[in-house]
Amino acid sequence: MTVADIIRFPRSWYPADSVDEWGRDAHLIDLLRPATALRWEVGIGGQHHLPKRGGALLVTNSRRLSLSTVYSALALSRAIGRPVRFGGRPDIAPIGPMMQRLGGLHNDPNEISGALRAGELVIVSAAGTSNPRHAGVVDPSMIATAVLSGVPVFPVASTSTPFGRATRVEIGPQVRPRHKRRGPLAELELAELTQRHIQRVLDGLGGLHTGVTPIDWLAEG
Amino acid sequence: MRGQRVLVSGMGGELGSLVASLLEAEAWVGSILGIDVDPPRRRLRRSEFHLIEPGDRERIVDVVTRFDPHVLIHLAVWEPDARAGTTLAKRLTQEASTSMLAAAAECPSLQAIVARSGIEIYGRGRGALTRPDEDSPTRPTSEYGRMVSGVESAAHSVGQRIGVAVSALRLAPVLGPHVPSPLGRVLRQPVVPFSLLADSPFAVTIDSDAARAFVAAAEQRPQGPLNVVGPGAISTMQAIRRGRRLPLPLVGPEWLFARQVSYLLGAPLPEHVMELIHRGRLADGSRLAATLGVAPHTTTQDVIDRLFKWEAIVRIPPSTATRAA
Repeated sequence: MTVADIIRFPRSWYPADSVDEWGRDAHLIDLLRPATALRWEVGIGGQHHLPKRGGALLVTNSRRLSLSTVYSALALSRAIGRPVRFGGRPDIAPIGPMMQRLGGLHNDPNEISGALRAGELVIVSAAGTSNPRHAGVVDPSMIATAVLSGVPVFPVASTSTPFGRATRVEIGPQVRPRHKRRGPLAELELAELTQRHIQRVLDGLGGLHTGVTPIDWLAEG
Repeated sequence: MRGQRVLVSGMGGELGSLVASLLEAEAWVGSILGIDVDPPRRRLRRSEFHLIEPGDRERIVDVVTRFDPHVLIHLAVWEPDARAGTTLAKRLTQEASTSMLAAAAECPSLQAIVARSGIEIYGRGRGALTRPDEDSPTRPTSEYGRMVSGVESAAHSVGQRIGVAVSALRLAPVLGPHVPSPLGRVLRQPVVPFSLLADSPFAVTIDSDAARAFVAAAEQRPQGPLNVVGPGAISTMQAIRRGRRLPLPLVGPEWLFARQVSYLLGAPLPEHVMELIHRGRLADGSRLAATLGVAPHTTTQDVIDRLFKWEAIVRIPPSTATRAA
């Protein structure tokens, strides 16, 4: 007889096999869905651009403190039926392990390239901006992970507001480099191109609509 | 490539005995010689075994140079708190790697060294990669990690000096029905502590899969490290649930007390197991299959399930024992 014969925990609370090889816990994500739905109501477009299998790097714009990679990854995972991981989890308990359960990876190029080589979809963010309609600078070292792993790069425009639930995630077509490069110029050019593609998709989403016009004007800068 | 002579250091351990028994069934293997401080754990028919202390370098050099192996499988690595405490394990591992590698380097027929290592070598410091592969930097953060790092660097320096292929198999924590494992002992306790703040995932491998990887590496002689990791992952809490144990959530200073209690109950928690519980331990094992064509079959979840089913003591009725003798 084991202790668990006497004290039983409901299996639905914590299944014994829901963690994958990167530490993502699909069951926990399902459990947290009502809570995430309270904060974000995510509309998704352009998911048909993403590959059905194999790795891909997604790069999104980021308003500071918006957690755009988190809500984008959770919403995309649900929409396309395969896990989407996000870069930028901290490495301090309990936030770090919690974000790992949600699919978080360190923002370390080695970590991101390991996931891409393993055929995973990974979303990372461009540099944070104060204006939600501006795409920040894309880090070439992140793009290098995709170039060296031989996986495509997709621009993702994400918009959210600090207080409202309405959130939009729009995926653009694959960013294709104009010239074939052999050296580090490949990721430098592709990073600039990705930033322009994100901005283009962002512009296509139109202005900010919080429902409070003065705030929208302020946000437009 | 028939008639190859294979030297197995650490043949007395469960993994060493298993590797030797698999080597005996290989057509390319001619003769097998084993050295350890304990006798083999299973019946071996073709292998020759020598009971020698790792510090007895002269005798090891004498036996090894007379055997003149083509391949050295160096398994003489003592995991802390598995068969010996941390200090003793460190000393035995260092002595064994020094004397075995030095002796093998004197053998003119030597073509390859396959060394046992562990994924503890990657370390779990702040910012460490979640799932490192063989190209990831090694920054061990536990005593066992530093021990296997020492074994790897000693093997590489010998390999470079005498020009032979050196591969290191970096094993995930090895569990098996007779494998002395501090992680296995902790998980089999009726009450198992886990980190409430982290509960990080880890992967393990079963001894038979690890042994098959060593035999394949000895035959194919690759260069460089290879991770040997069972598919899948599990967190400590999930392992506790699978074993139907009582979880004991801990957050901080009470770990000191829990370690002492666990030690008194016969399941010490060495540094690398504490690290596994708090920071997890995963690694990418895909290169093993691509390089050697073998991969661990048993998933981490299955290994953990089996861990809880293995008998603590296998009782053999007197009549059966007499017949077997």
